[in-house]
Amino acid sequence: MRLFLAFIFSGILLFASEMTASSYANDDFDAEFNDTQNKELFDPLSSYNESMTTFNDSFYEYILKPTAEGYAFIVPQQARNGISNFFDNLLFPIRFANNLLQLKFFNVLEESERFMINSTMGILGFRDLADEELSIKAHDEDLGQTLGYYGIGSGFHIVLPFLGPSNVRDLVGLSGDMWLNPINYFEARHLNLLKNQEQALATTAFFTINETSLHVKEYTQLKKDAIKLYPFMRSLYESRRNKLIHE
Amino acid sequence: MNKTIKHFLLFISLSFGITNHSLYAIEENKISAFMQTNIDLATTILRDKKLYKNEKSEKLFVIFDSIFDYTLMAQLSLGSKQWSLLDASKQNEFTKLFEEKLKLSYMNKLDLYTDEKIVIKNLEKIKDTRIHLTTHLMKNSEVYEIIYKFYKNKNNDWLIYDVDILGVSIIQTYRTQFADILTKEPFEKLLEKLKQPDEETPKKQ
Repeated sequence: MRLFLAFIFSGILLFASEMTASSYANDDFDAEFNDTQNKELFDPLSSYNESMTTFNDSFYEYILKPTAEGYAFIVPQQARNGISNFFDNLLFPIRFANNLLQLKFFNVLEESERFMINSTMGILGFRDLADEELSIKAHDEDLGQTLGYYGIGSGFHIVLPFLGPSNVRDLVGLSGDMWLNPINYFEARHLNLLKNQEQALATTAFFTINETSLHVKEYTQLKKDAIKLYPFMRSLYESRRNKLIHE
Repeated sequence: MNKTIKHFLLFISLSFGITNHSLYAIEENKISAFMQTNIDLATTILRDKKLYKNEKSEKLFVIFDSIFDYTLMAQLSLGSKQWSLLDASKQNEFTKLFEEKLKLSYMNKLDLYTDEKIVIKNLEKIKDTRIHLTTHLMKNSEVYEIIYKFYKNKNNDWLIYDVDILGVSIIQTYRTQFADILTKEPFEKLLEKLKQPDEETPKKQ
Protein backbone atom coordinates (compact mmCIF):
# COMPACT_ATOMS: atom_id res chain seq x y z
CA MET A 1 0.00 0.00 0.00
CA ARG A 2 2.75 2.39 0.97
CA LEU A 3 4.56 1.61 -2.24
CA PHE A 4 1.39 2.33 -4.13
CA LEU A 5 1.03 5.72 -2.42
CA ALA A 6 4.65 6.53 -3.11
CA PHE A 7 4.06 5.74 -6.72
CA ILE A 8 1.10 8.09 -6.85
CA PHE A 9 3.01 10.75 -4.99
CA SER A 10 5.93 10.64 -7.39
CA GLY A 11 3.44 10.83 -10.20
CA ILE A 12 1.94 14.00 -8.81
CA LEU A 13 5.40 15.46 -8.31
CA LEU A 14 6.28 14.68 -11.86
CA PHE A 15 3.13 16.35 -12.99
CA ALA A 16 3.92 19.39 -10.88
CA SER A 17 7.41 19.70 -12.29
CA GLU A 18 5.92 19.61 -15.74
CA MET A 19 3.66 22.47 -14.82
CA THR A 20 6.58 24.67 -13.82
CA ALA A 21 8.47 23.66 -16.92
CA SER A 22 5.64 24.85 -19.10
CA SER A 23 5.44 28.27 -17.46
CA TYR A 24 9.21 28.65 -17.79
CA ALA A 25 9.00 27.87 -21.48
CA ASN A 26 6.34 30.49 -21.73
CA ASP A 27 8.55 33.31 -20.39
CA ASP A 28 10.96 32.37 -23.06
CA PHE A 29 8.25 32.83 -25.67
CA ASP A 30 7.07 36.17 -24.38
CA ALA A 31 10.44 37.68 -25.18
CA GLU A 32 9.97 36.55 -28.75
CA PHE A 33 6.75 38.46 -29.16
CA ASN A 34 7.35 41.37 -26.85
CA ASP A 35 8.82 43.46 -29.59
CA THR A 36 8.18 47.09 -30.38
CA GLN A 37 4.61 46.31 -31.20
CA ASN A 38 3.74 45.15 -27.77
CA LYS A 39 6.06 46.83 -25.35
CA GLU A 40 4.19 49.88 -24.14
CA LEU A 41 3.16 50.62 -27.67
CA PHE A 42 3.48 54.33 -28.42
CA ASP A 43 0.35 55.20 -30.28
CA PRO A 44 -0.50 58.82 -29.49
CA LEU A 45 -2.96 59.08 -32.36
CA SER A 46 -4.80 55.87 -31.52
CA SER A 47 -8.28 57.38 -31.23
CA TYR A 48 -7.87 59.45 -34.41
CA ASN A 49 -6.36 56.41 -36.13
CA GLU A 50 -9.21 54.23 -35.06
CA SER A 51 -11.86 56.54 -36.49
CA MET A 52 -9.83 57.09 -39.66
CA THR A 53 -9.61 53.30 -40.08
CA THR A 54 -13.39 53.12 -39.86
CA PHE A 55 -13.70 56.00 -42.32
CA ASN A 56 -11.32 54.39 -44.81
CA ASP A 57 -13.08 51.08 -44.42
CA SER A 58 -16.46 52.63 -45.23
CA PHE A 59 -14.97 54.62 -48.08
CA TYR A 60 -13.56 51.41 -49.50
CA GLU A 61 -16.67 49.29 -49.02
CA TYR A 62 -19.28 51.83 -50.10
CA ILE A 63 -17.52 54.01 -52.66
CA LEU A 64 -14.27 52.64 -54.02
CA LYS A 65 -15.23 48.97 -54.21
CA PRO A 66 -18.58 49.44 -55.98
CA THR A 67 -16.95 51.90 -58.38
CA ALA A 68 -14.14 49.47 -59.13
CA GLU A 69 -16.62 46.62 -59.58
CA GLY A 70 -18.71 48.67 -61.99
CA TYR A 71 -15.57 49.64 -63.87
CA ALA A 72 -14.44 46.00 -63.99
CA PHE A 73 -17.82 45.07 -65.43
CA ILE A 74 -17.29 47.40 -68.39
CA VAL A 75 -13.55 47.09 -68.96
CA PRO A 76 -12.18 43.60 -69.69
CA GLN A 77 -9.48 42.26 -67.42
CA GLN A 78 -6.85 42.22 -70.14
CA ALA A 79 -7.25 45.95 -70.69
CA ARG A 80 -7.16 46.61 -66.97
CA ASN A 81 -3.96 44.60 -66.66
CA GLY A 82 -2.50 46.67 -69.49
CA ILE A 83 -3.44 49.91 -67.79
CA SER A 84 -1.96 48.65 -64.54
CA ASN A 85 1.29 47.81 -66.37
CA PHE A 86 1.29 51.25 -67.97
CA PHE A 87 1.10 53.03 -64.61
CA ASP A 88 3.60 50.64 -63.10
CA ASN A 89 6.05 51.52 -65.81
CA LEU A 90 5.39 55.20 -65.25
CA LEU A 91 6.27 54.86 -61.59
CA PHE A 92 9.75 53.72 -62.57
CA PRO A 93 11.49 56.86 -61.17
CA ILE A 94 10.43 55.98 -57.61
CA ARG A 95 11.79 52.44 -57.84
CA PHE A 96 14.93 53.57 -59.65
CA ALA A 97 15.77 56.31 -57.14
CA ASN A 98 15.12 54.18 -54.08
CA ASN A 99 17.03 51.15 -55.28
CA LEU A 100 19.89 53.51 -56.04
CA LEU A 101 19.65 55.16 -52.62
CA GLN A 102 19.80 51.72 -51.01
CA LEU A 103 22.83 50.88 -53.15
CA LYS A 104 21.04 47.91 -54.70
CA PHE A 105 22.86 48.31 -57.99
CA PHE A 106 21.74 45.06 -59.55
CA ASN A 107 18.12 46.09 -58.98
CA VAL A 108 18.87 49.53 -60.45
CA LEU A 109 20.18 47.82 -63.55
CA GLU A 110 17.16 45.52 -63.80
CA GLU A 111 14.76 48.39 -63.26
CA SER A 112 16.42 50.36 -66.06
CA GLU A 113 16.26 47.36 -68.36
CA ARG A 114 12.60 46.91 -67.54
CA PHE A 115 11.84 50.55 -68.21
CA MET A 116 13.60 50.53 -71.56
CA ILE A 117 12.15 47.24 -72.77
CA ASN A 118 8.60 47.90 -71.59
CA SER A 119 8.47 51.52 -72.77
CA THR A 120 9.51 50.56 -76.27
CA MET A 121 8.66 46.99 -77.19
CA GLY A 122 6.04 46.82 -74.46
CA ILE A 123 4.29 49.78 -76.14
CA LEU A 124 4.51 52.55 -73.52
CA GLY A 125 4.52 49.97 -70.80
CA PHE A 126 1.12 48.44 -71.53
CA ARG A 127 2.78 45.07 -71.72
CA ASP A 128 5.26 43.87 -69.15
CA LEU A 129 7.49 42.12 -71.68
CA ALA A 130 10.50 42.25 -69.39
CA ASP A 131 8.73 39.95 -66.94
CA GLU A 132 6.82 37.88 -69.49
CA GLU A 133 9.72 37.14 -71.80
CA LEU A 134 12.83 37.68 -69.74
CA SER A 135 11.56 37.14 -66.18
CA ILE A 136 12.97 40.45 -65.03
CA LYS A 137 10.76 41.45 -62.14
CA ALA A 138 10.12 44.88 -60.68
CA HIS A 139 11.92 45.73 -57.44
CA ASP A 140 9.45 47.75 -55.46
CA GLU A 141 11.21 50.14 -53.16
CA ASP A 142 9.93 53.40 -51.77
CA LEU A 143 11.47 56.18 -49.74
CA GLY A 144 9.93 54.90 -46.50
CA GLN A 145 11.82 51.64 -47.06
CA THR A 146 14.98 53.56 -47.93
CA LEU A 147 14.78 55.49 -44.66
CA GLY A 148 14.19 52.23 -42.81
CA TYR A 149 17.13 50.69 -44.62
CA TYR A 150 19.35 53.37 -43.08
CA GLY A 151 18.09 52.57 -39.63
CA ILE A 152 15.41 55.20 -39.19
CA GLY A 153 12.69 53.91 -36.88
CA SER A 154 9.06 53.86 -37.93
CA GLY A 155 7.83 56.41 -35.39
CA PHE A 156 4.21 56.25 -34.33
CA HIS A 157 1.44 54.90 -36.49
CA ILE A 158 -0.67 57.30 -38.58
CA VAL A 159 -3.69 56.28 -40.59
CA LEU A 160 -4.00 58.57 -43.60
CA PRO A 161 -7.34 59.47 -45.10
CA PHE A 162 -7.97 57.38 -48.26
CA LEU A 163 -4.40 56.08 -48.33
CA GLY A 164 -4.66 53.92 -45.23
CA PRO A 165 -2.07 52.81 -42.65
CA SER A 166 1.25 54.63 -42.44
CA ASN A 167 3.70 55.90 -39.86
CA VAL A 168 5.92 58.94 -39.40
CA ARG A 169 8.80 57.48 -41.39
CA ASP A 170 6.63 56.29 -44.25
CA LEU A 171 4.75 59.59 -44.34
CA VAL A 172 8.04 61.44 -44.81
CA GLY A 173 8.94 58.87 -47.45
CA LEU A 174 5.60 59.27 -49.15
CA SER A 175 6.02 63.01 -49.60
CA GLY A 176 9.42 62.41 -51.20
CA ASP A 177 8.02 59.75 -53.50
CA MET A 178 5.15 62.03 -54.50
CA TRP A 179 7.73 64.45 -55.84
CA LEU A 180 9.09 61.68 -58.08
CA ASN A 181 5.67 60.43 -59.08
CA PRO A 182 4.94 61.40 -62.71
CA ILE A 183 1.18 61.37 -62.21
CA ASN A 184 1.34 64.13 -59.63
CA TYR A 185 1.48 67.81 -60.53
CA PHE A 186 3.84 70.25 -58.81
CA GLU A 187 4.24 73.78 -60.02
CA ALA A 188 7.71 73.96 -58.55
CA ARG A 189 8.77 70.84 -60.45
CA HIS A 190 10.41 71.49 -63.79
CA LEU A 191 9.08 68.41 -65.44
CA ASN A 192 5.37 67.73 -65.28
CA LEU A 193 3.64 65.09 -67.36
CA LEU A 194 0.23 66.50 -66.57
CA LYS A 195 -0.91 70.07 -67.05
CA ASN A 196 -2.54 70.88 -63.74
CA GLN A 197 -3.75 69.74 -60.34
CA GLU A 198 -7.15 68.63 -61.68
CA GLN A 199 -5.61 66.36 -64.26
CA ALA A 200 -3.32 64.88 -61.64
CA LEU A 201 -6.24 64.19 -59.35
CA ALA A 202 -8.31 62.61 -62.12
CA THR A 203 -5.36 60.44 -63.20
CA THR A 204 -4.72 59.30 -59.64
CA ALA A 205 -8.39 58.45 -59.21
CA PHE A 206 -8.37 56.45 -62.43
CA PHE A 207 -5.16 54.69 -61.40
CA THR A 208 -6.68 53.83 -58.02
CA ILE A 209 -9.94 52.51 -59.47
CA ASN A 210 -8.05 50.40 -62.02
CA GLU A 211 -5.74 48.95 -59.36
CA THR A 212 -8.63 48.26 -57.01
CA SER A 213 -10.56 46.50 -59.76
CA LEU A 214 -7.75 43.96 -60.04
CA HIS A 215 -7.68 43.24 -56.31
CA VAL A 216 -11.27 43.85 -55.40
CA LYS A 217 -11.85 41.02 -52.95
CA GLU A 218 -8.48 40.98 -51.25
CA TYR A 219 -9.12 43.61 -48.60
CA THR A 220 -12.55 42.22 -47.77
CA GLN A 221 -11.06 38.75 -47.48
CA LEU A 222 -8.24 39.97 -45.28
CA LYS A 223 -10.58 41.89 -43.04
CA LYS A 224 -12.48 38.72 -42.15
CA ASP A 225 -9.60 37.67 -39.93
CA ALA A 226 -9.79 40.82 -37.87
CA ILE A 227 -11.32 40.72 -34.43
CA LYS A 228 -10.74 44.45 -34.11
CA LEU A 229 -9.95 46.26 -37.31
CA TYR A 230 -7.61 49.06 -36.22
CA PRO A 231 -5.03 47.06 -34.20
CA PHE A 232 -5.28 44.31 -36.81
CA MET A 233 -4.41 46.65 -39.68
CA ARG A 234 -1.73 48.41 -37.63
CA SER A 235 -0.02 45.16 -36.72
CA LEU A 236 -0.22 43.88 -40.28
CA TYR A 237 1.12 47.09 -41.77
CA GLU A 238 4.04 47.52 -39.37
CA SER A 239 5.14 43.85 -39.61
CA ARG A 240 4.92 43.85 -43.36
CA ARG A 241 6.86 47.09 -43.70
CA ASN A 242 9.57 45.76 -41.40
CA LYS A 243 9.85 42.67 -43.53
CA LEU A 244 10.05 44.71 -46.74
CA ILE A 245 12.77 46.93 -45.31
CA HIS A 246 14.90 43.93 -44.37
CA GLU A 247 14.51 42.26 -47.74
CA MET B 1 -8.94 5.72 -0.72
CA ASN B 2 -11.35 6.69 -3.40
CA LYS B 3 -9.41 9.86 -3.85
CA THR B 4 -6.09 8.06 -4.32
CA ILE B 5 -7.59 5.84 -6.95
CA LYS B 6 -8.87 8.88 -8.72
CA HIS B 7 -5.39 10.38 -8.66
CA PHE B 8 -3.95 7.16 -9.86
CA LEU B 9 -6.33 7.01 -12.76
CA LEU B 10 -5.57 10.60 -13.55
CA PHE B 11 -1.89 9.85 -13.56
CA ILE B 12 -2.30 6.82 -15.76
CA SER B 13 -4.44 8.67 -18.24
CA LEU B 14 -1.98 11.52 -18.25
CA SER B 15 1.03 9.35 -18.85
CA PHE B 16 -0.85 7.40 -21.43
CA GLY B 17 -1.66 10.66 -23.11
CA ILE B 18 1.99 11.55 -23.15
CA THR B 19 3.33 8.22 -24.38
CA ASN B 20 0.57 8.02 -26.88
CA HIS B 21 1.53 11.42 -28.14
CA SER B 22 5.22 10.67 -28.38
CA LEU B 23 4.42 7.89 -30.83
CA TYR B 24 3.78 10.65 -33.31
CA ALA B 25 6.63 12.84 -32.17
CA ILE B 26 8.45 14.73 -34.85
CA GLU B 27 12.15 14.38 -34.41
CA GLU B 28 14.40 17.23 -35.30
CA ASN B 29 16.09 15.62 -38.27
CA LYS B 30 12.75 14.56 -39.64
CA ILE B 31 10.97 17.90 -39.59
CA SER B 32 11.63 18.70 -43.23
CA ALA B 33 10.64 15.26 -44.49
CA PHE B 34 7.64 15.13 -42.18
CA MET B 35 6.44 18.55 -43.27
CA GLN B 36 7.00 17.74 -46.92
CA THR B 37 4.80 14.65 -46.54
CA ASN B 38 2.15 16.72 -44.80
CA ILE B 39 2.30 19.49 -47.36
CA ASP B 40 1.98 16.98 -50.19
CA LEU B 41 -0.92 15.31 -48.44
CA ALA B 42 -2.61 18.65 -47.81
CA THR B 43 -2.09 19.68 -51.43
CA THR B 44 -3.71 16.45 -52.63
CA ILE B 45 -6.70 17.11 -50.40
CA LEU B 46 -6.94 20.71 -51.57
CA ARG B 47 -6.86 19.66 -55.21
CA ASP B 48 -9.47 16.94 -54.79
CA LYS B 49 -12.44 18.33 -56.64
CA LYS B 50 -14.74 15.59 -55.41
CA LEU B 51 -14.56 16.73 -51.81
CA TYR B 52 -16.88 19.32 -50.33
CA LYS B 53 -15.38 22.25 -48.49
CA ASN B 54 -16.22 20.92 -45.04
CA GLU B 55 -14.90 17.45 -45.92
CA LYS B 56 -11.68 19.04 -47.10
CA SER B 57 -11.21 21.03 -43.96
CA GLU B 58 -12.02 18.03 -41.79
CA LYS B 59 -9.30 16.01 -43.47
CA LEU B 60 -6.86 18.91 -43.33
CA PHE B 61 -7.48 19.56 -39.66
CA VAL B 62 -6.54 15.96 -38.87
CA ILE B 63 -3.09 16.76 -40.24
CA PHE B 64 -2.87 20.15 -38.55
CA ASP B 65 -3.99 18.86 -35.16
CA SER B 66 -0.93 16.65 -34.90
CA ILE B 67 1.58 19.42 -35.63
CA PHE B 68 0.06 22.62 -34.21
CA ASP B 69 0.10 23.34 -30.50
CA TYR B 70 -3.18 25.26 -30.28
CA THR B 71 -3.02 25.56 -26.51
CA LEU B 72 0.34 27.27 -26.62
CA MET B 73 -0.80 29.44 -29.52
CA ALA B 74 -3.79 30.58 -27.52
CA GLN B 75 -1.58 31.29 -24.53
CA LEU B 76 0.93 33.25 -26.59
CA SER B 77 -1.71 35.28 -28.35
CA LEU B 78 -2.97 36.43 -24.98
CA GLY B 79 0.46 36.90 -23.38
CA SER B 80 1.55 35.05 -20.26
CA LYS B 81 0.62 37.87 -17.90
CA GLN B 82 -3.01 37.95 -18.95
CA TRP B 83 -3.08 34.15 -19.21
CA SER B 84 -1.96 33.68 -15.61
CA LEU B 85 -4.79 35.91 -14.40
CA LEU B 86 -7.37 33.46 -15.72
CA ASP B 87 -8.62 30.39 -13.92
CA ALA B 88 -8.35 27.01 -15.61
CA SER B 89 -11.89 26.94 -16.95
CA LYS B 90 -11.51 30.37 -18.56
CA GLN B 91 -8.17 29.29 -20.04
CA ASN B 92 -9.84 26.26 -21.52
CA GLU B 93 -12.73 28.23 -22.90
CA PHE B 94 -10.41 30.76 -24.46
CA THR B 95 -8.18 28.06 -25.97
CA LYS B 96 -11.16 26.34 -27.49
CA LEU B 97 -12.54 29.54 -28.98
CA PHE B 98 -9.14 30.54 -30.26
CA GLU B 99 -8.61 27.21 -31.97
CA GLU B 100 -12.03 27.51 -33.58
CA LYS B 101 -11.21 31.03 -34.74
CA LEU B 102 -7.97 29.87 -36.35
CA LYS B 103 -9.71 27.02 -38.10
CA LEU B 104 -12.58 29.16 -39.28
CA SER B 105 -10.18 31.71 -40.65
CA TYR B 106 -8.38 28.93 -42.51
CA MET B 107 -11.61 27.47 -43.86
CA ASN B 108 -12.64 30.85 -45.21
CA LYS B 109 -9.55 30.81 -47.35
CA LEU B 110 -10.08 27.39 -48.91
CA ASP B 111 -11.95 28.90 -51.83
CA LEU B 112 -8.92 30.97 -52.70
CA TYR B 113 -6.87 27.88 -53.42
CA THR B 114 -6.22 27.23 -57.09
CA ASP B 115 -3.02 25.48 -58.01
CA GLU B 116 -0.44 26.91 -55.65
CA LYS B 117 2.53 24.79 -54.72
CA ILE B 118 4.44 24.91 -51.47
CA VAL B 119 8.10 23.92 -51.39
CA ILE B 120 10.41 23.74 -48.41
CA LYS B 121 13.32 26.11 -48.78
CA ASN B 122 15.26 26.14 -45.59
CA LEU B 123 15.39 24.78 -42.06
CA GLU B 124 17.10 26.97 -39.54
CA LYS B 125 17.77 26.11 -35.92
CA ILE B 126 17.37 29.40 -34.08
CA LYS B 127 18.30 27.88 -30.72
CA ASP B 128 18.05 24.57 -28.87
CA THR B 129 14.31 24.67 -28.68
CA ARG B 130 13.36 26.60 -31.81
CA ILE B 131 13.38 25.75 -35.48
CA HIS B 132 12.17 27.91 -38.33
CA LEU B 133 11.08 26.12 -41.47
CA THR B 134 10.95 28.48 -44.44
CA THR B 135 8.67 27.50 -47.28
CA HIS B 136 7.78 29.17 -50.54
CA LEU B 137 4.28 29.28 -51.86
CA MET B 138 4.36 29.58 -55.63
CA LYS B 139 1.48 31.09 -57.50
CA ASN B 140 1.98 31.64 -61.22
CA SER B 141 5.37 33.32 -61.23
CA GLU B 142 5.01 34.94 -57.82
CA VAL B 143 6.67 33.56 -54.71
CA TYR B 144 5.37 34.12 -51.19
CA GLU B 145 7.37 33.27 -48.10
CA ILE B 146 5.75 31.33 -45.27
CA ILE B 147 7.73 30.42 -42.17
CA TYR B 148 6.56 27.70 -39.81
CA LYS B 149 7.95 28.20 -36.32
CA PHE B 150 8.53 25.03 -34.29
CA TYR B 151 9.45 24.64 -30.65
CA LYS B 152 10.61 21.59 -28.76
CA ASN B 153 8.29 20.69 -25.93
CA LYS B 154 9.22 18.76 -22.82
CA ASN B 155 8.58 15.43 -24.52
CA ASN B 156 11.07 16.35 -27.23
CA ASP B 157 8.33 16.74 -29.79
CA TRP B 158 8.58 19.54 -32.26
CA LEU B 159 5.35 21.44 -32.64
CA ILE B 160 4.30 24.57 -34.49
CA TYR B 161 3.52 27.60 -32.33
CA ASP B 162 3.38 30.35 -34.95
CA VAL B 163 3.24 30.90 -38.69
CA ASP B 164 4.80 33.88 -40.37
CA ILE B 165 3.22 34.90 -43.66
CA LEU B 166 5.14 37.50 -45.67
CA GLY B 167 6.65 38.80 -42.46
CA VAL B 168 3.35 38.93 -40.60
CA SER B 169 3.20 36.67 -37.56
CA ILE B 170 -0.23 35.25 -36.91
CA ILE B 171 0.30 35.17 -33.17
CA GLN B 172 1.61 38.74 -33.11
CA THR B 173 -1.43 39.93 -35.02
CA TYR B 174 -3.80 38.33 -32.52
CA ARG B 175 -1.67 39.49 -29.62
CA THR B 176 -1.88 43.11 -30.71
CA GLN B 177 -5.63 42.89 -31.13
CA PHE B 178 -6.25 41.12 -27.83
CA ALA B 179 -4.03 43.58 -25.99
CA ASP B 180 -5.93 46.46 -27.56
CA ILE B 181 -9.31 45.02 -26.65
CA LEU B 182 -8.24 44.23 -23.08
CA THR B 183 -7.03 47.76 -22.38
CA LYS B 184 -10.57 48.98 -22.84
CA GLU B 185 -12.80 46.05 -22.14
CA PRO B 186 -13.07 43.11 -19.72
CA PHE B 187 -12.01 39.59 -20.66
CA GLU B 188 -15.62 38.47 -21.03
CA LYS B 189 -16.03 40.91 -23.89
CA LEU B 190 -13.04 39.38 -25.67
CA LEU B 191 -14.60 35.93 -25.39
CA GLU B 192 -17.79 37.34 -26.82
CA LYS B 193 -15.94 38.84 -29.77
CA LEU B 194 -14.26 35.50 -30.43
CA LYS B 195 -17.62 33.77 -30.40
CA GLN B 196 -19.11 36.12 -32.95
CA PRO B 197 -19.29 34.70 -36.41
CA ASP B 198 -17.67 36.97 -38.98
CA GLU B 199 -20.04 39.81 -39.62
CA GLU B 200 -18.58 40.59 -42.98
CA THR B 201 -18.87 37.09 -44.39
CA PRO B 202 -20.75 37.44 -47.63
CA LYS B 203 -23.68 35.10 -47.90
CA LYS B 204 -23.25 34.19 -51.51
CA GLN B 205 -20.06 32.12 -51.32
